[in-house]
Amino acid sequence: MRRLFLLALVLLSGCRPKTGEPLEAKVRFVPEHPTVGKAEVCIEVDPRLELVRVEVVGDMTHAGMIPVEAEAHPAGPGLWRVEDFDFNMRGDWVLTITAYDKKGKKYVKEVRLTVP
Amino acid sequence: MKTPDLLRVPLLGRFFRWRYSRFALQVPLLLVALLALYDGFFGRQLAPKNFATVSVWLHYRGFLVLAIAVLGNLFCAACPMLLVRGPTRFAKRFLPEFKWPRALCNKYFVIALTLFYLFAYEYWDLWASPWLTAWLILGYFGVAFVVDTLFPEGTFCKYVCPLGNFNFTLSTVSPTQITARDPEVCLSCEGKYCVNGRVETPSGRKTLREAPNAEGVRYPGCETKLYVPQIKSNMDCTLCMNCVRACPYDNVAWKLRAPGTEPAWARYKIDVVWLGVLLFFAGFMNAFAMVPPYYQLAEHLAEVLGTRNEAVLLSTIYVLWTGLGLFLTLGVTTLADRVSGVRASPLKAVRFWGSGFFPLAFAMWAGHYAFHFLTGWASIIPVTQQALANLGLPVGEPDWTLAALVPENWLYPLQVAILYLGLLAASYVLFRRARERNHFLAGGIVFTYFFLLVALALWVLAQPMEMRGTLLLPQ
Ligand code: SF4
Ligand code: SF4
Repeated sequence: MRRLFLLALVLLSGCRPKTGEPLEAKVRFVPEHPTVGKAEVCIEVDPRLELVRVEVVGDMTHAGMIPVEAEAHPAGPGLWRVEDFDFNMRGDWVLTITAYDKKGKKYVKEVRLTVP
Repeated sequence: MKTPDLLRVPLLGRFFRWRYSRFALQVPLLLVALLALYDGFFGRQLAPKNFATVSVWLHYRGFLVLAIAVLGNLFCAACPMLLVRGPTRFAKRFLPEFKWPRALCNKYFVIALTLFYLFAYEYWDLWASPWLTAWLILGYFGVAFVVDTLFPEGTFCKYVCPLGNFNFTLSTVSPTQITARDPEVCLSCEGKYCVNGRVETPSGRKTLREAPNAEGVRYPGCETKLYVPQIKSNMDCTLCMNCVRACPYDNVAWKLRAPGTEPAWARYKIDVVWLGVLLFFAGFMNAFAMVPPYYQLAEHLAEVLGTRNEAVLLSTIYVLWTGLGLFLTLGVTTLADRVSGVRASPLKAVRFWGSGFFPLAFAMWAGHYAFHFLTGWASIIPVTQQALANLGLPVGEPDWTLAALVPENWLYPLQVAILYLGLLAASYVLFRRARERNHFLAGGIVFTYFFLLVALALWVLAQPMEMRGTLLLPQ
């Protein structure tokens, strides 16, 4: 019985959608410590990655909050930027940065910050 | 006045008389609990995108207060935790059964557990952690199993379960109640089967109490030991409908009644009243812990106490607030007693006036939960899709922008309306109590206290939200 359960778990976790490779990136904000309102999000990656699309999704850590979604724009070699990311509430935020390269490969990075 | 009996409604009555009606209600919630466990342990650890946190902290709590307001304690009726009964009955064959200690046959143990749970909720940010939420569900099943194995059935619901007792307390304002159709029939009822259980043996009808092992068709009685003709309150009633099935005379009714009025005529024991008072102040704190003034207070307290230890600060805030609440309640109700010429003890004063807190407690929690539920109700769709996708089911791409049920600017007026309705019901309780004493000024004193508490609650709900896990910002 236990083996069956373990086997089912392994199989089920095998079915889970792929989340992507870890993205090596430096993430900065302007202002450095964002407060409630708009802020710039700068994402610096290795230019050799040849990314074609970068998305930023901001979630609060409480269930039921609508995520803030934004598309980053290229702003130089390996530099991507969201000019007016809307931190619309005080509290803990989790930014999920999802990037795709030319071949469609997906990279993901998570950044946690507190907006006072 | 004759009030409608919901068990006379054709399909509803038939459903609740059916032996497996409770099981049918429990299965969907069991499936929800299993999916929450799976996603909580193995899914993405992000509260708004995990089925465990969204289903437990948003929908379970939202639907719970809605069900209590519209019908009654349906969530105890459908509680999947009681599906541990099969395993506990098996385990009982090998283990001794103990009597629940007399000293704990009241609500004080539940009050202590509720306080601990509220502390844990803030300290470990249960609302933000799918993993801890899954552990909470699992732990709950485990405790229900242990308590129901070692003690008589019903012990867990009545004396241990903080959630069940939360439901019991808030359902005192519900618009329905179990009662006897004809009390005369009960007077001549030989077995009091609604409470003692019934077994139809080949040699005749017996109570399960006198013949616990008799062969035959068995109808368990009320596990929380409520005797139908004497029921005056929803306190301790899980709406399991055992009494309906156990009564051989079809003499149990599930009647509609005026919502919010029970606390005006029911006489609760002091431990029950304290539970109601505590739930109001705890509900207030639960909302206050999500607004900026709470964090400012924590910073100030950290300076005064010279510590940034979150456990110390959180405990201090909770102890001060609930202590202040209980102390003020003692003071104000005693003053009302003295003004009306009664020289009883302060505890008797709380017992007399304190049931007015029940509708207030309901309104406080309902106002707070309504906010979360209505802002994020539709998020259950993408999180369910994602959890099922994790299980390998083809359910399509989740749409994470699904969220609000009503426009955001409706929320505060709605919360105001809920709190005023609570205050209205509480003032009815106070008016009835004051009329008993023939002294309306005494009722007015307690009403002023309630009014100020509601004003304070409205101020809290009007603050901008701040959803932060850490009490203090890093220095
Ligand atoms: S409700 Fe039914 S079982 Fe209970 S005392 Fe009355 S007649 Fe007897
Ligand atoms: S058996 Fe007891 S708990 Fe169940 S519905 Fe009847 S009175 Fe309520």
